[in-house]
Order: sequence, then structure tokens, then C-alpha cells
Amino acid sequence: MLELTGITKTFPGVNALDRVDFEAQSGEIHALLGENGAGKSTLIKVLAGAYIPDEGTIRYDGIERHWASPRAAKDAGIYVIYQELVLFPELSVAENIFLGRAPKTRFGAIDYGKMHSSASEVLNRLGHNLDPRTLVHRLSLADQQMVEIAKSLVDDTKLLVLDEPTALISGRETELLFECINNMRMSGVCIIYISHRLEEIFELADRVTVLKDGQKVDTRPVSELNRELLISLMVGRELDDIYPEKTLPPKEPAPVLSVRDLKAPPTVKNVSFDLHAGEIVGMAGLVGAGRSDMAHAIFGSLPRIDGAVTLSGETFNTPTPRMAINRGLGFLTEDRKGQGLLMLLDMASNVSAPVLREFTNAFGIDRQFEIQAAKDEIERFRIAIPSATSDVVHLSGGNQQKILFARWSRACHRVLILDEPTRGVDVGAKVEIYEIIKKLADEGVGILVISSELPEIIGLCTRVLVMREGLISGEVTGSQISETTIMRLATTSVAA
Amino acid sequence: MSSQTIEFFTHSYLKRFALPLSMIALAVLATILQPAFLAPKNLQDIFTQAAPLGIVVLGQAFVVLVRGLDLSVASLMATVAVIATAFNATSNAAIPVIFAVAIGFSALVGFTNGILVTKRNVSPFLATLAMMIVLQGLRFYYTQGAPAGSLPDGFRFLGTGRIGGIPVGLIGFLCLFTLLGWLLHKSEFGRKVYITGGNPISATLCGINSDRIIILCYVICSVMSGIAGLFLVGFVGTVDNWVGRGYELDSIVAVVIGGIALSGGVGTIWGAALGALILVLLFNIVIILGLPVQAQLIIKGVIIIFAAAMFVRVQKV
Amino acid sequence: MKWYSKMSRRIGNSLRRLHLDPSLLVVFVLLVIVLIAGFALSDRFGTVRNLMNVLEQSAALGFVSLGQSLVVLVGGIDLSVGAVVTASAVLMAAVVDSNPELMIPIIIVVLAFGTLIGYLNGYLTLKTGVHPLIVTIGTASVLNGLVLLYTLQPTGGVPFWFEEFAYGRIGPLPIAGVIMLICFAAVWYLLKYTTLGRSIYAVGGDEEAARLTGINSKRTSLFAYSACGFFVALAGAYYVSRTGVGDPRLGEPITLASITPVIVGGLLLGGGKGNVLGTLLGVFLISLLNNLLNYMNISTFIQWVVQGLIILFAVSIYASKVKKL
Repeated sequence: MLELTGITKTFPGVNALDRVDFEAQSGEIHALLGENGAGKSTLIKVLAGAYIPDEGTIRYDGIERHWASPRAAKDAGIYVIYQELVLFPELSVAENIFLGRAPKTRFGAIDYGKMHSSASEVLNRLGHNLDPRTLVHRLSLADQQMVEIAKSLVDDTKLLVLDEPTALISGRETELLFECINNMRMSGVCIIYISHRLEEIFELADRVTVLKDGQKVDTRPVSELNRELLISLMVGRELDDIYPEKTLPPKEPAPVLSVRDLKAPPTVKNVSFDLHAGEIVGMAGLVGAGRSDMAHAIFGSLPRIDGAVTLSGETFNTPTPRMAINRGLGFLTEDRKGQGLLMLLDMASNVSAPVLREFTNAFGIDRQFEIQAAKDEIERFRIAIPSATSDVVHLSGGNQQKILFARWSRACHRVLILDEPTRGVDVGAKVEIYEIIKKLADEGVGILVISSELPEIIGLCTRVLVMREGLISGEVTGSQISETTIMRLATTSVAA
Repeated sequence: MSSQTIEFFTHSYLKRFALPLSMIALAVLATILQPAFLAPKNLQDIFTQAAPLGIVVLGQAFVVLVRGLDLSVASLMATVAVIATAFNATSNAAIPVIFAVAIGFSALVGFTNGILVTKRNVSPFLATLAMMIVLQGLRFYYTQGAPAGSLPDGFRFLGTGRIGGIPVGLIGFLCLFTLLGWLLHKSEFGRKVYITGGNPISATLCGINSDRIIILCYVICSVMSGIAGLFLVGFVGTVDNWVGRGYELDSIVAVVIGGIALSGGVGTIWGAALGALILVLLFNIVIILGLPVQAQLIIKGVIIIFAAAMFVRVQKV
Repeated sequence: MKWYSKMSRRIGNSLRRLHLDPSLLVVFVLLVIVLIAGFALSDRFGTVRNLMNVLEQSAALGFVSLGQSLVVLVGGIDLSVGAVVTASAVLMAAVVDSNPELMIPIIIVVLAFGTLIGYLNGYLTLKTGVHPLIVTIGTASVLNGLVLLYTLQPTGGVPFWFEEFAYGRIGPLPIAGVIMLICFAAVWYLLKYTTLGRSIYAVGGDEEAARLTGINSKRTSLFAYSACGFFVALAGAYYVSRTGVGDPRLGEPITLASITPVIVGGLLLGGGKGNVLGTLLGVFLISLLNNLLNYMNISTFIQWVVQGLIILFAVSIYASKVKKL
């Protein structure tokens, strides 16, 4: 059905795909696995015509294809549900589902009556009751995900790609989705399924292909695999070699960060926890559980309506990021490019940004001092960069992330909140980042790690908080930390 | 690594030297076509003309660096000119007062623009467009379409005077250029301008009050326009309701020629100054070659698209 | 503040139930206020005769704002509309002056010319990646230069019968106004009931998402820019018909004027949101307001101030809904 051979795709500074072979058949569910940044999304965009590969061939339905645009692939029956939803918030549910292929009246006009009824019918098949007239921006994320899935059911789809379709939904909706997927497999559709949740892979998939750092590791039937084997295939080494040894910090009498009844609607409903100096605490939960917003609310970049935050005994109740930084609280966001690095400035300016005042004298910014400080950081974190005055755009994800670590660890000595600290970073750099996190903790910084990669949380943290729908649904410590305990807290309702 | 290094260097060389080189090329071309280009009189004309535009462009650069745009500069220039003449002052002693009032008024206009853009979330294009129309309406209403009033004689000195053969306007421009150049490239504020313009979200998360930075940029732009308005009214000698007309677009054209990206965060004070100078050079070449003045419009149109396209390409490298 | 927001939400909900866009509320309320004020303050304002005159005179603003709406919907902006109006008017008047028999062909030529310039704007924007603001300032400058090279004074003329376009009536209805309404209806239909129309919203909303959905976003943008040029040229023809000459300085205020009704009508700069019905109401609002202020002997200068304040008022109401980080 689909055969990709020798697919190579490079972006400035990154080798996103390196001679990847991939093959999938009609009537099978083929799981595509790999850590963030392994090249899954790029591979999908190549097969869907959104990227043109630098090298390699695509054979689909027995013919060699050179997609000129996503349209061409779509016309051939390839449908992709992207992780970042491709929806138009100002259009209605029905219009989104039928965009570009709306039913027409005899006179060639869009037939809204027919469109609305067909949309309802498709949504019903997914067990969902949505008014097809509703504008999409009024829907919850889970509902938007269902609309995205509904789009794939309308076409005569021969190859369906689902990129993390369950990231935003849970429970009954997931079951209905799986039922739909199974029905499609039965009718001979080829399905490529990407997910972080390994148990879904074992439940659904026939075969698994694992990617790592842009290269294919292996393709195997699911029946030959178990969980540990799969993880080590994805990560590329034994688990023990990846994470630094866990050590419990000396118990301090008072926590360095203490959060009580934090509320920042709509996503953060009520959060309380403590963090001690030198401790690495994990924060797990589904996408949309409110973890990032909680971090923003603590840091002062999102308004909170209620709650008390205490930093080293000082209350910190009318927050701005400036006040947080001055009190020694740093926040490394999940979106490295959009909310972190200053791509237009050099490395030294990136490091000094939160504490510019320190580098300023009567004549302005002391450039010499600034560059020297950056050089120290380059050494400290072993950043591969030509010089302290080089651009940061072309660096690898790992080195970019290290620059952000340099920025925040320099500016803030008490608490660091790390949101997805290893997203889009290759395995080697991951190990280095884990070491950095460990070292900072040993220096006495309290660290809160927000991550969707459960192995990372489990491998790194001595204590794990789980968030669900804006609330802390539980806490696990020590030997109790496991994927099962965490996922149970992340998905089931909190007992009242 | 090595190919990346080469790429990096060609990239920054292009950025650094494209403008001065094209300016020199233009000057050489002008001299070949018409040797009178180098006559002291003509050079003085160029600088006298470039000074007010240059001052506005310096201000416009700050606004563009923080992803903004100020369409109200020309309207503000004329309004300041009307205010200056409304004093009907005859004694040169009134000049400092006129300056203070004009700059104060300009700062207020800039502050309003900045508040609209940051606190009310109005797009810069519309906020400053509305400001332009409002100022225009108020000015015409006050003057009833026919401005009267006069300026102290000392004002003429601003526009046409010379100190050691150098036009006063040029000296004023150079002072402001030095001051703003320091502010933009050496001071903490300037760095914050680049950070805010390059990535406003990162700026906020780095503890920078980006709203305040943006508002200050609008204030700087308006104050520069106000000063330019005073220079221009000194140059023209009389006031009319359209002093500085066309400067809003010319200043944007100059900023674009100077390589300051409308998407924010990219560009230098040198770029702004050279952009203004290149534009005025082009205008001057049209005149000394005896071409019709309208040709300036055509050249301006072609150059702006060409320059913008070139910088888009350079930044993609 | 509370009762105000509660009230507007309630009205918004009932509008939504009627399948009307709640963002039309702002312009609608403003229009009602102007009408009530008009009836109360002037006895001539409310006459059918006056209202028909306003409809007739609003045609030019209507055409250019309609064109501008399309470009704004795909996320662009066209600052060359004034120059295109001028160029089409001068071209038309200059050619027809000595060859009145060419009147019909020249109408087609001028409309094609406008469409072509619009296409060129779109093409340059897409090809160079330069912001449409800059591209259209550039084309405007070139066009203005060419027109002024040709003539500095109003020039040319048109056959007498062509003035029917601007002044003619069908019964009490002004022909120009009716044509404008037909154009609005056609574009409204296009946007609502055709795939191309829906694509315009998609491209303006999120170009990359539109591409991934399989929409040809380049062709969609080019269509919007070309259609804009077409309607703008139509406005140029209207001006020639109204004044009988081609005035090379005609277009200057038109560019910015074309934006006001679009903004007041609730279209979002940046694209993807709004409705030409809003633009039409915006056109009526501006035209009626100016008409009323004229009757009240309020100077043009104050009319400018009012227009600026209306832009700010409308925009800050729409904009404050947008969430920032």
C-alpha cells in the first residue's frame, strides 16, 4: 500500500530524517514510535505532501508519487490528523468538516442543510453530539479533537494517519475512537498510528516502527515486543544509563516554594503543593490538564484569581515575571522557539536577558562583561557554539536548550520550573540535560519538571505530582512511582 | 561547521555593507551622470532635505523595531508647526518655550498611540491612522483651513542656518543620531527594544515590561516627529496645514530600505540613517538629471518593493 | 459596565440564534444611533429623497470598501486603492475624450486593468514574501507617478449618457447605489455559498492550516487581490461618470477612507473573520454620518475627527476580546 524508501529531509541545522524506509499495508494498524524530535511528524508530512523530501521515493498504491502539495496526496486518499489541530476557529463545526468538499445544491451553491445533517451523522458515529453550527473556537480542546477526527471519516480514505489523537481526550471518547479505527481497519484502510501511550500501541497496533534521531531503528510485529524492549528501542540504550542516580535531598524544615489553592481559570482550578531545596519533583498529566498554565500562574505570566505562593518564606501574591525572577524563580517554557530563545539576538544576549541590569553600568550594557559571562556558561554547560556572539538559530535543539538552562540557572538560584525540558532534543543531549538538572538540584535548586514523557519523569524524579483537569489528583513517591500509578491518577476522576 | 561559518559571515557582511555600498554606488552614478552632483550647494541641499526626514526615520525605526508602525508622524509634524506659530511670538526668547510645548504635545500623542496599541490591543496601523485623522481634523478646525501666525526669526536659523558651513539641520540630526544610537545599541533600554521586537512573549517571560518598552518607542517616534516638524517649519518659513505631507510613507520607505524589518527586532540606527539618505539621494538625482519630479514617485515605488524583497531574501539565508 | 456587557451578550446570543454574526452588533447600534439622531436633529435628513441621495453618493465608498474587505479577509491590506481609482479614472476619461464610440470597450478595459493591478499586488506579495502593506505602497507610488507624468490637471471627458451610471434613477432608486448593492450581494453569496468563498476565510484564518487542508491558498489570495482591483476600478469609473473628467489627484483620500467601513464593520486586520454585510453597514454609517454632519453645518474638519474616533471606538471594542498572553 505505502512504501517509503531512503527518505531524507534536512532543515537548516537539523537532519530531520536520514534515509528512512517505511512500509505499511492495507488493513493494518501500523504504529510509528519514537521520542519527541525523532522525526515522526516530519515523516508524516513527507508522506502527506506537506514537505518535499530531499531524497528518497514514495510508492503509494503501487505507483511512485511525487506529491506537489497536500492536496494531491489528499485526492489520492491519504488523510492526516495532525497533532496541532488544523481547524479554523472562525468557521463552524460543519464547515470545518466539509471545507473544500461541501455538498452542493443543483445550482452549485453550498447546501448548508445537507452539510449540517451529514456533519451530525458523522459526529454521531463517533458518539458525539455537537451542534454543527457552533463556531469551533467555542469548543473545548477535546471537542475540537473530535471534529478533527470526524473530518477523516467523510472522505474516501485509504490511508489514515493519526498523530497523537488521544492527547486531548480520554475514557469513553477514546473507546469510541478505537472502535472507529478498528472498523476502518476491517474495511481495508491502512492506518498509521502515533502515540505516546504505549498501552494503546499494544491494544491497537499490528506492527510497530521505531524512529530515533531521524533514523529508523526497526520494524517488528507487536506480538514480538514488550514494554521494556520498546522503550529501549526508542531510547537506544539501557534505561540505567540514561538517568542520573536518584538521591533524596536533605530534608529542610521549610519548603523553598509553597503553593496553596492556586486558581487561574479556566485551566487551573485548585493546585497546592510544596517543593524543597535540592528536590526534583515531577508534574505529570495529560495534555490540557493545566500543567503549563499552572506554571505560568506561579511565575506571574498568567493572571491568577486566588491562591498563595510563598518563595523561601516570602509571600509572592501580586506576581509579575520580574518579581519572580528577582526572587530567584525561573521558568523554562515548553515552547523553546516561541517563548524562550531570542532568535534574532546572539548567544550572550540570550543568556543575559532576564538579568540585564546586572550587566549595565553608567555607560550602558557592559558588552565585555556580558560576553565573558556567556563564555563561562558555554564551558559550564559544554555548549557546542562557535562563540559567545554567534547566532542561536542554527544550533541543534540540545544546544539551544542548554542556552536556556544557562540563562535561567544564572538568573535564578532558588527554584526552576522546567516545562518539557527535553522536547525536540536528541538522546545524547537528553542525557546531558538530565545531568544538568541533577547537578542544579545538588547545588540546592528546587526543581519542578513538567513532562509528558513518563519514562523521563519516572527516571528523574523522587516525587511525582499528577494533575488532572486543573486539580492535583495525587502524589506518588519513591518506589510507588510507575507508569500505571501515574496514568491512573491522570485519567480517572478524583474521588470526591 | 565550516560551511555554516561561511554562511554566517556572508550573511552578516551582506547585512553590514549592502547599504553603505549601494549609497556610494548611487553617489558615483550621480556624479558620472551629472558632475554638478558634487557641487557644495547640491550637497548642502541634500543634507538640508535629509535632516528632517532623517529625524523622523530615526523615530520610526524605534516603532518598527517593536513590530509597530506610525502613520501619524506627518500629521503630527504639521500640527506641531501650527502649534508653534499659534504663539505668534516675535522674540527669540520664546523659542525654548515653543520647543518645550511642542515636544510635550508630541510626547502626549506618542503616549496615546502607545496606550492604544498595548493596553487596548488596537493594531498599530489603525491606532496611528486614527491619530493621523484626528490630528488633521483638529488642526484644520483650529486654523479653519488657513493657518496664520508667525514664528520668531530665530526659527529660520534652524531650517536654513549654517554653523561653519554645515547646515544646522544636519547638526541637529547628528546630535539626535548619536543620542538615539547610544540608546538603541548601548543602553539597557535598547536591548529591551530588540528583545521585545524579536519575541514579545519571551520578553515578558524574561521579566521585561514589554508594554512599557513599546509605549516608550511610540513616544520617541512622536517626539522625533515633533522636532522634525519644528526644523521643517523653520526651513519653509511659513506654516501650512500640510507641513511634512508624505513623510509617513517616506519614513516607512526609508526604514524598509534601511533593512529594518516590519516584523520587528531586526535593524540598526545606521540602517535607518542610510535608508533616509539613500531615499533623499534618489530624489536629488531625479532633480539634477532634469527628470520630471513625478519620476521620484515611480522610483520610490520600485525601490521599496525591491529593497523589501531583498531583505526578506537575506534574512532567509 | 456589568449591565452593559450582560446586555450585549444577550443581544449577541439572540443575533446568533438568527444566524447573524454578533460582531455586526457594534456597527448596527452605531447606525441606529446616527439614524435616530438624524431624524431628531434635521427634518430634511429623514426624507426618502435625501436617503436616496446618500445611497447614490455612497456607491464609490461602497465599491472600494468591498474590494478592501476581500483583501483584508485573506489577511492582507491594499494601500493602492486610491492610486488604482485615479489611474482607472484618468485612463478612461483620456481615451474616451477623443473616441466616444470606445466607451463600452473602455469600461471593460478599465475593469481588466484594475483586476490586473490587483493581481500584480497579490503576485508580488506572494512571490517576494514582502508585507502587502509595503508592496501596495510601492505599486501605488508607481501608478501615481505615471498618472502625474501624464497629466497634472483634470483631463478628458466622457459621453453624456455615461453620467447615467452616477446620476441615473430607476424609479426612486439610484442606479449606482443599486449596482453597489448587487455587488455586495454577489460577494456575500460568494463568501457564504461557494467553496472559493469559504477558502478565503480559511486562508485568512491560518494559511498553513489551509494548505494542509488541501486548499490552494495562493490561488485564493490572488483571487481576493484581483477582485479588489476590479471593484476599485469600478469606483474609478463611477467617479468619471460623476465628475465627467479624470482627476489625477482624485484618489488620495480614498485609500484610507476605504479602510474605515471595513474596520467599523467588524473585519479583523489579519484576516479570516468578518462579513461584507458589516462593511456595507459601515459604508452606510460613514455616509449617513457625513450627510447628517453636513446638514448640521458641522465642518468637514470635525467630520475627520469623528471618523478617527469611530475607528478607535470600533477597533477597541473588537480588539479587547482578543486574548493576549
